[in-house]
Amino acid sequence: MKQGTLFLIAAVVVATALAALPAVASPFVQSMALTCLMFAGLAVSWSMFSGPTGYLSLASSAFFGLGAYCTAWGLAYLPWPVVVMAGGLAATLFAFLIGLVVLRLRGAYFAVITYGLGELVKHTITHVEKTYAGTVGRVMTDTPSSNVVYWTVLIIALLAVFTYVRFGRSRYGHALRGIGMDEERAATLGVNPMRVKLLGFCLSAWFAGALGAAIAVRWTYIDPNTVFNPFIVFQTVLISMVGGPLTIGGPLVGALVFSLLSEFLRLSLPYLYMILLGVLLIVSVLYLPNGLAGHDWRGTWQKFFKRKKADVQVTEQRHE
Amino acid sequence: MNLYLFIDLIVAGLVTGGIYAVVALGLNLQYGLMRIMNIAHGEFLMLGAYLTYTLVRYTGASPLWFILPMMVALFLLGLLLHRLIFRRLAATSPNAEVMEARSLIVGFGLMFIAQNAAQLTWGGGMSGQPYLDEAVKFGEVTVAANRLLVLGVAAAASLALVLLLKRTLLGKAVRGMLQAPLGAMLVGIDTRRLHPACFGLGLALAGLAGGLLSMVYELTPSMGEPYTISALIVITLGGLGNIPGAIAGAVLLGLVETFGTYYTSPSLKILISYSVLVLVLLLRPKGLFAK
Repeated sequence: MKQGTLFLIAAVVVATALAALPAVASPFVQSMALTCLMFAGLAVSWSMFSGPTGYLSLASSAFFGLGAYCTAWGLAYLPWPVVVMAGGLAATLFAFLIGLVVLRLRGAYFAVITYGLGELVKHTITHVEKTYAGTVGRVMTDTPSSNVVYWTVLIIALLAVFTYVRFGRSRYGHALRGIGMDEERAATLGVNPMRVKLLGFCLSAWFAGALGAAIAVRWTYIDPNTVFNPFIVFQTVLISMVGGPLTIGGPLVGALVFSLLSEFLRLSLPYLYMILLGVLLIVSVLYLPNGLAGHDWRGTWQKFFKRKKADVQVTEQRHE
Repeated sequence: MNLYLFIDLIVAGLVTGGIYAVVALGLNLQYGLMRIMNIAHGEFLMLGAYLTYTLVRYTGASPLWFILPMMVALFLLGLLLHRLIFRRLAATSPNAEVMEARSLIVGFGLMFIAQNAAQLTWGGGMSGQPYLDEAVKFGEVTVAANRLLVLGVAAAASLALVLLLKRTLLGKAVRGMLQAPLGAMLVGIDTRRLHPACFGLGLALAGLAGGLLSMVYELTPSMGEPYTISALIVITLGGLGNIPGAIAGAVLLGLVETFGTYYTSPSLKILISYSVLVLVLLLRPKGLFAK
């Protein structure tokens, strides 16, 4: 309980500081904070479902892009909050429809099909726009001010963190973790795996869609290659995996580090940045399977410096 | 429909299918044997293509001379990658599903590294080195000679691999590992040596496909991606670890794509591939030929 209060106070302080940022910071800092918040929200929403279940979803780009296209199509006719909500709901609807079938698959097939569906959506939208609208991209006019966009993204990111914590503690959160450990056992113990997975998948999709809808106006001109960019999902997965998808702090710190890194390196050394990203991805999978935050640092310490004591604790299974 | 057009399309489909077969056989070995979902498989095709292209550029000799050395180089690269990455990955993964998911992430990492390293080394501009691009006439049907060459080499390589697996003791060991990994170890098959070799063989096959493609098409650092997707479709169509199934699946996909893009529009090629992938995964996740 005490820890909960502490967390709440810290969250309120951070949220207030972030909300006041536009008043004090330069546009450059604000823009960087916006990128940070976007990836923090995406990483937390990804971890909501993929963290506990271990289902590696690569659909974030599809959710994000669907949200962005909702804004592109609806911004001229609907008020801003409705557009953002609709972006999230479009992603949720998409997640529900594909979830009904793809959540039956596991392991690499699940990852591959979620990626494939994302690409399918991207190419479908490209084709539809080319055929019916005559152009591939869309220019957005009458966009809300950058402060409104910033606050919207901040609210969605905070909502994602709040939902992550509450959802993780609810019976559905426990059920999802149970599915991650052993799906058959969870089913035997009375969990309906399909329903719980679908709920988690849809919930996580809403945030990615809403973030896409809110961020889209930042670009003023969008096309399928920008908003369905696979880079978005890779960066999201990397942030969560390196940070630690089973903790709330992991994705948040990961988002901060990688957003700053990408902001500085991507423009000056784009190819080197991607190579670095690749190396980090491999190293984190090999040596930090639970992420920085979830890693057993004490165990590593003991392994390196107190070999004799640690001998008993090293229980690596060999599968070759 | 015009008979000659029909034959043209069949030949084009077979050429595409032949390349798919070579690429998919390598991925099928890696995935079927070691559960390595190597999403960077197409990147090794790209590396093979660029290596061949560079060697041809510097020496001016026929690309056919360099195919074999380039395959050996990629085989060695495969041994190295297996030693550095996948051995540890297999040793620390609690089960096959975790292994698949983690190898997929590693694959994306390798993809970033390979594509961007190629971009830094060779630049982003398209480059091509057409070889033997004269037409060969069979009565009324004309086919480019290099495409026939690609088809011939791809078919020969696929056939050689099938014979290797069916007729030799080594092949028997590999088939044993495909059918029952634990049983194979129990009867004394040395998986610690065969696994890296099969991983390297997969890379060498991707490199072969790349070397062949460098005679026909232009090269870009991201040219490998569509082939990875095609290879995934093919091994899903054919069934995991099913080598003849993969060859049949490759030819089928090559024909479906060729006819599909001819009757709709070339810009729909990727859409068609992804639709086939999604449909196959949903309707026949165990492959078309599963009982």
